Amino acid sequence: MQGIPGGGTRPGPSPMDRRMLLNFSFILAVALGQMNFTGDQVLRVLARDEKQLSLLRDLEGLKPQKVDFWRGPARPSLPVDMRAPSSELKDIKAYLESHGLAYSIMIKDIQVLLDEEREAMAKSCRRERSTSSFSYSTYHNLEEIYSWIDNFVMEHSDIVSKIQIGNSFENRPILVLKFSTGGSQHPAIWIDTGIHSREWITHATGIWTANKIVSDYGKDPILTDILKAMDIFIELVTNPDGFAFTHSMNRLWRKNKSIRPGTFCIGVDLNRNWKSGFGGNGSNSNPCSETYHGPFPQSEPEVAAIVKFITAHGNFKALISIHSYSQMLMYPYGRSLEPVSNQRELYNLAKDAVKALYEVHGTEYIFGSISTTLYVASGITVDWAYDSGIKYAFSFELRDTGHYGFLLPATQIIPTAQETWMAIRTVMEHTLTHPY
Amino acid sequence: MQPRRPPPPAPGSGPWGPRPAAPLIALLLLLASVVATAVSESAEDPGQPQDAGLQRRLLQQAARAALHFFNFRAGSPSALRVLAQVQKGRAWINPKEGCKVDVVFSTERYNPESLLQEGEGHLGKCSARVFFKNQKPRPAINVTCTRLIEKKKRQQEDYLLYKQMKQLKNPLEIVSIPDNHGHIDPSLRPIWDLAFLGSSYVMWEMTTQFSRYYLAQLTSVRQWKTNDDTIDFDYTVLLHELSTQEIIPCRIHLVWYPGKPLKVKYHCQGLQTPEEASGTEEGSAVAPTELSNF
Repeated sequence: MQGIPGGGTRPGPSPMDRRMLLNFSFILAVALGQMNFTGDQVLRVLARDEKQLSLLRDLEGLKPQKVDFWRGPARPSLPVDMRAPSSELKDIKAYLESHGLAYSIMIKDIQVLLDEEREAMAKSCRRERSTSSFSYSTYHNLEEIYSWIDNFVMEHSDIVSKIQIGNSFENRPILVLKFSTGGSQHPAIWIDTGIHSREWITHATGIWTANKIVSDYGKDPILTDILKAMDIFIELVTNPDGFAFTHSMNRLWRKNKSIRPGTFCIGVDLNRNWKSGFGGNGSNSNPCSETYHGPFPQSEPEVAAIVKFITAHGNFKALISIHSYSQMLMYPYGRSLEPVSNQRELYNLAKDAVKALYEVHGTEYIFGSISTTLYVASGITVDWAYDSGIKYAFSFELRDTGHYGFLLPATQIIPTAQETWMAIRTVMEHTLTHPY
Repeated sequence: MQPRRPPPPAPGSGPWGPRPAAPLIALLLLLASVVATAVSESAEDPGQPQDAGLQRRLLQQAARAALHFFNFRAGSPSALRVLAQVQKGRAWINPKEGCKVDVVFSTERYNPESLLQEGEGHLGKCSARVFFKNQKPRPAINVTCTRLIEKKKRQQEDYLLYKQMKQLKNPLEIVSIPDNHGHIDPSLRPIWDLAFLGSSYVMWEMTTQFSRYYLAQLTSVRQWKTNDDTIDFDYTVLLHELSTQEIIPCRIHLVWYPGKPLKVKYHCQGLQTPEEASGTEEGSAVAPTELSNF
């Protein structure tokens, strides 16, 4: 390729030029019925004088046509831009060089740029959608959820705000939605979904619940009372790396994606990494296990971020951690069979919550402490929460009981969210009316 | 109802085996902890959380194991049953031997549409005696169920399924059932039902008093041959074990034909333990006459 007189290769076209040219080629592609431009290039030619200009015009006049001009030969010193099909490239360049016409390659492969452009447009289309066109009855990926969060916060900025509490191992932002009617450091309720990434129904339920809260505020007297006195925090994607992985590679991935030198298995079970009975029964020291607790308590950034946030806040009164599946509502402890001091109260509250849930669609839940209802598990979220002074700490296992398990059909998202909401609301109401 | 294969006579126990020292056995059992519970679905009285909760889990465990075995033995992909409710039961725990569970439970048809809504439709009833040998797999099971589906109707539906299967085009190209969003194409439903039938055998064999298995996904079909008198199905599934949360890939090879005994071979990948689970069952389902009360 011959350089431009003056030495050196010229920098490419300005972003404006490039965009204009791309749009042109895009329109062209559409007009020509989705032609393929692979290998086609756009050359910019500088004609020194009229003689060179007419040489270019000759090119244009060739039959069959070898080039098409995007910016035709007009005056010397004005650049001439021509699209050269890949099949003609060699000939055209030879022609230009043999006549001493200086040119540079503006676009090395039109098709590549077209593809990138198309993708970027599609992405921005998704981003620009408002929450009113977001479907609550399908499963979404991480980008869609994060984009929904931004729209949601924008649309309900009077009571909702977004807080980044940290970064995941693979450096994704960890986001929390705050629902508040004002005041400073109101007593608060924490809800997390998706700590185990394969439990897709939980993220979907969380999103629906967030929307339910803003919809019902001012209409549902119980919720309105709750929000007047308390703040609600919802962390929708508690394990963003794992969640991205369930979409890209392994639908049944559970843990986070942390890697440590020396271990050749990836990931820690985030619900075994808390500082409460860490390393005990019901957790595993083998890094390849699905219940690997990690090297030490709170070793995982996803857990550390929550601990830091809740501890710094200092005024959380209830914590609800949502999992699937099994259809259970449970309270601490998971690490042992020892009953908590307010076990009777939690038993009765769980009973009421499960009843409220049942009344929506007839779904039957069982309830009790984690260790007696599900299994012994150590280093879990709700045990830590309880030991940190949060008296109302509950763990949900949503639908179903094993028929579809983690692969719960999307048609069950809304019914699940509707019934779960009634249970959550029951717990929140009790928390409100039993300040401590 | 006899179990398909009587358990090997174990010293001092074995409720079905020969009883030369019956009184001694009875004494032994009495000495072991005996807990009786009449349980309905709701939670235990928190006064005795440990006992009641553990009891409930054990009864559930036994009911599920019994159902896996029942489904496998019935050999009928159109008549699969799932657990509806544990109604009552009683467990004997002998720390040396294992545990014996008597359980009564209700069942529903394994049909996603009817499971979605509030239990309409028939509920079958089963009673089972399950013996978990101290953490060893392959619980010995004696199970009887009331008739849920007319025998003739069941055979008809099996034949229908068989015909549908013969017409399936390119099942070897299947990626996964259900797909990642939980959807099963209605045309692929027969494959799923047959896969579940074969998996029932595997899940029965692997169940212990602590480990409980679910079929998570069918991930590949290696072979699908439909002849005039058999369906030869070689496939891989992912099983989910609840207490360890592990996902276990199992390769299963079954041969099936309506009314004929189901043949199953399988091999599951082990994880932390070097042992892998595998087993073979040839000509396993009992002859139809013994299922007269089914």
